[in-house]
Amino acid sequence: MPNDKKSQKIVDIIQNAARKHSLFVLAYGTGCGAIEIPPTMTSRYDAERFGIRGMATPRQADVLLVTGYLATKTLKRVIRAYEQMQDPKYVIGFGSCTINGGMYWDSYNTIKLLDKYIPVDVYINGCMPRPEAVIEGFIELQGLIKDGKANGATKYKENIDWYRANQKKVIKNWNMPDYNW
Amino acid sequence: MREKATTLYLGPQHPGITGNMMVKLKVEGDTIVKAETHVGYLHRGFEKLMERRNWLQSFTIVCRICVPEPDPNELNYARAVEEIEGREVPERAEWIRTLVMELSRLASYLLWFGGQNGSAGLYTMPQWSVGDRDYILDLFEELTGGRVYHMYIWPGGVRRDLPEGFTGRVLQTMDYLEKQLVKYDQLMFENTIFQKRAKGIGWIDPAKAIEWGVVGPPLRGAGFKSDVRIDDPYLIYDKLDFVVPTQKGSDVWARSLVRREEFQQSINMVRQIIDKMPAGEVYNKIPNPMKWTIPAGDAYVKAESARGEFGYYVVSDGGNKPRRVHVKGPAYVHGVTLLEEVLKGANISDVSFIMNSLGTCPPEIER
Amino acid sequence: MTEDKHIKEQKIVDQLSGTFQNLTGKVKRERRVEVSVEKKLIPSVLSYVKDQLTFTHMSHMSCVDWLEDEHFELVYILWSPELKVQLLVKTLINRENPVIENVDMIWGQLNTYQREIREMYGIQFTGLEGREEFVLEDWDEMPPMRRDFDTAEYIKDVFFERPGRDGAKDVREVIATRSGEEIPELAKKYSRD
Repeated sequence: MPNDKKSQKIVDIIQNAARKHSLFVLAYGTGCGAIEIPPTMTSRYDAERFGIRGMATPRQADVLLVTGYLATKTLKRVIRAYEQMQDPKYVIGFGSCTINGGMYWDSYNTIKLLDKYIPVDVYINGCMPRPEAVIEGFIELQGLIKDGKANGATKYKENIDWYRANQKKVIKNWNMPDYNW
Repeated sequence: MREKATTLYLGPQHPGITGNMMVKLKVEGDTIVKAETHVGYLHRGFEKLMERRNWLQSFTIVCRICVPEPDPNELNYARAVEEIEGREVPERAEWIRTLVMELSRLASYLLWFGGQNGSAGLYTMPQWSVGDRDYILDLFEELTGGRVYHMYIWPGGVRRDLPEGFTGRVLQTMDYLEKQLVKYDQLMFENTIFQKRAKGIGWIDPAKAIEWGVVGPPLRGAGFKSDVRIDDPYLIYDKLDFVVPTQKGSDVWARSLVRREEFQQSINMVRQIIDKMPAGEVYNKIPNPMKWTIPAGDAYVKAESARGEFGYYVVSDGGNKPRRVHVKGPAYVHGVTLLEEVLKGANISDVSFIMNSLGTCPPEIER
Repeated sequence: MTEDKHIKEQKIVDQLSGTFQNLTGKVKRERRVEVSVEKKLIPSVLSYVKDQLTFTHMSHMSCVDWLEDEHFELVYILWSPELKVQLLVKTLINRENPVIENVDMIWGQLNTYQREIREMYGIQFTGLEGREEFVLEDWDEMPPMRRDFDTAEYIKDVFFERPGRDGAKDVREVIATRSGEEIPELAKKYSRD
């Protein structure tokens, strides 16, 4: 099998096209946005049309949907879930609170900028975003995957020290295992 | 032979758990011997934030305290402020508030239908009931502009009057839901699988229910005719004709029957409200919100949400910001002390089933 | 508030002030009664109203920080399913040395409330069992619900902020200048100044 750049490119295109149609979302309702996930997934909006469906465990999931604000206590669990997820993996920041803190910009217990702690591929704004907006965000992500631009996980691995420093600034008692993917 | 006890962490990332919380279980085989609730994953410090916001700004964030059912929060906050300030509310606003409360109860029960069956592995019900819930959310969207968070009931009345033709659409939706309820009966209450799962599970001792602080459908499922709408009447509930259903079983099955009956009662109430609603103003104007001060005082108000009594303790020091707003959701008791008690001796597979029947909702435990 | 209108409420106040010394009470409105007691009387008042006056349901327990007056106010909110009356039992405790007796043997769920107040206000309940951490995790600052804890200062050191928030104090003005519009007259009177 020839292993040159050109054939690798063709493989990537096929791979990305296949990946974008099976996005398994980790069923972790981290914030209040989780209330719009049932309507998105059930009969009215039926996100499964786009190959989007829930998955119970991090190791089988592709997409981490951060539904809203993250309390520092949850951030620790989200990082752990994110690091357990296998490549390829993507993060969607859902709601205004992941973008700039939203309503909770002066709260002592929620993080304000999600992308300082884990790499975010797509943001969906709104408080809270409607199911149509959620699906729109997923289609945006599918477009990024197709073009090979959804490379948050690579960014995370390359800049792990920077991310770790930010994470440890908030999480005072760091007692988590290291994953070497 | 006695099996070795193991510790099992259910949550916070677990598809069966209701919201973002964790139950630490000590199990022998698959029987739970000790359960401990861990919360704090959703703590935003609402009560601290409200001390920094003025009275009107606080109103926009109170609804975020309870996600499946934001309207009791808005209502309680508005009523507490009105009670301290002595502000009058136009009569039509009271009727519209009651309409919103009952619609929100219906929406919350539809979500519960889905959750209760989904946690038993019956996945048709969530597809139906969560889809039907969207019809109510559409009504809310037309009325308030928001699907989930409405920010509609505010101190002094409601934000705007009903749109033209709204009541007709509400009645249409009620007819549709009543028709759907027959299907729900077939799918859920006449379903042997559900009956076998629900009967005898999650038993609460009726002798201790009041003392343990049980409220709402679990208390009515234990045989107590207790409902804030009757015991401590608010809005215009004393002008409506409805019954408070009770059951004797005190298990998941009894609580499900109570909720099903209340669903029907709410539909009837919505029809009565639309029938009798008077005309008039809907809003008693507040002064410039930046300079709006409330005289010193305190008030404890409560409302019956779909999951039980929702209480607000609001204190004013005479300034333009609340001194203290303390929220008591039904899950504060149901999700911690009661859950820990009820889970003793239960099966691991029943944990999320029981949690759904008690209506635990972590955002209001830690706020 | 005419007294003959609230007979059953007034009866509760009379009964309580007859039984306990230094107890002041008043009827706030229909179905709302408020009494204030010294902090050492709290356990006996609570068990008295539970056993003798049918206040069997514990609705809520709250705490208010009166920083200027240097005390915390604890409020126990009880409900009588028979009388249909809500009773607020209030007590003041010193802010310097906030200690009060644990009463979770009277109502089990008070354990949760007290644990939260211990964490959020730093009030010690003598003999209270249960995990120290209830909501927060690894918190080493001042208890956050105290009035002198400034959350806006705290977030400056701990969290990142996206630039632009300072300039956007009044969003409408920013949007209006951006698109060259004028703020309508009716909106101007709700200006922040």
